[in-house]
Amino acid sequence: MIRMLLALLLVLGLAVPAQAHKLKLFASVEGAGVKGYAFFVGGGRAQDSPFVATDAAGTEIARGRTDADGRFAFQVPGVAATGVTVTVDTQEGHMASVTLAADRFGSAATTTSAASAGPVSRPAQDREVGALVEAAVQRQIEPLLERIEQMDSRLRLTDALSGVFLIFGLAGMALWARGRRA
Amino acid sequence: MAHIPDGILSAPVLVGGAVLAAGGVALGLRRLDDRMIPRAAILSAAFFAGSLIAVPVGPASVHLLLAGLMGIMLGPAAVLGVLVALLLQALLFGFGGLTTLGVNTVNIALPGVVMGMALGPAIRTTARAPVRMALAAAVGALSVLGTGALVALSLRLSSADYAPVASVVIATYLPLALGEAVITAAVVGFLARVQPDALAPALP
Repeated sequence: MIRMLLALLLVLGLAVPAQAHKLKLFASVEGAGVKGYAFFVGGGRAQDSPFVATDAAGTEIARGRTDADGRFAFQVPGVAATGVTVTVDTQEGHMASVTLAADRFGSAATTTSAASAGPVSRPAQDREVGALVEAAVQRQIEPLLERIEQMDSRLRLTDALSGVFLIFGLAGMALWARGRRA
Repeated sequence: MAHIPDGILSAPVLVGGAVLAAGGVALGLRRLDDRMIPRAAILSAAFFAGSLIAVPVGPASVHLLLAGLMGIMLGPAAVLGVLVALLLQALLFGFGGLTTLGVNTVNIALPGVVMGMALGPAIRTTARAPVRMALAAAVGALSVLGTGALVALSLRLSSADYAPVASVVIATYLPLALGEAVITAAVVGFLARVQPDALAPALP
């Protein structure tokens, strides 16, 4: 029986690095809006799950459902002075939220004000250029942010193995303690 | 799914779960002998590794629990195995959380222990293999459904906002229950053939 269970364990252990289990969110600011997606660590997206966006005071900004790829997107009305928190609930016990700090919305403020200002004045031109730079930088670093988030949440084989052997170590300690008492 | 993270459940639910889990641990510790320790450790390790592998199902993703198998093979000591594995998952991977450790342990282990103790004797004494496998499959499936019900109940008791939607829960837990039924039946059928003693939590 021990041998068979060890074999089962080995099979499970080999499959470990591929998959895992925890809901996480990735969100980024784009212009005057926020977009992102909900994913399970190790694979799978939270499809057709409700999301809610609130500001720091808890006032609701937007709500909706994620699409087939677990993606969500919404506009932030006005300037998000307090930051935005997005929460996704898969309605079966998984929930995750992510908060975008207020300073991430600098570009949104610039974009909206640039759009409303007249194109002739020099400060307005500066703002427009500023907004374009912000958008370009955002576009370039987004894959990096995404990658960091993924690496951060990846399961590591060494961690899984150390967990398994910690359990065996505990068993060994328990047996040793019992042996001493006997 | 079965790993409820920190910051969702209300204090009474957390305390209630911790008290129940402590009771289960006390019960399990009393059964712990030289034969039980390695068996509990191996099943705990199998649960630890097995529940790291998540399969996307419907809107969410599920993973094996093996609680029914642990209930049949370990009896109340299954609580210990689940607790240790969940603690390590929380510390190493951030699955679940330290404050929800008690609730999660109860949610996963309790249905397995109850079903294992209810149907275990019949599984061990029956001479007919198909009956044994059917009983084992029932233990596996019902343990998963029990876990689903307990998770839903914990969320529901904490806040009406987090109440899981029944249709989503059924859509995700039903395939898992079927998978667990198959695996539990296969393992129990195999053990009954090669080493029937392994199915008993304690030797007479």
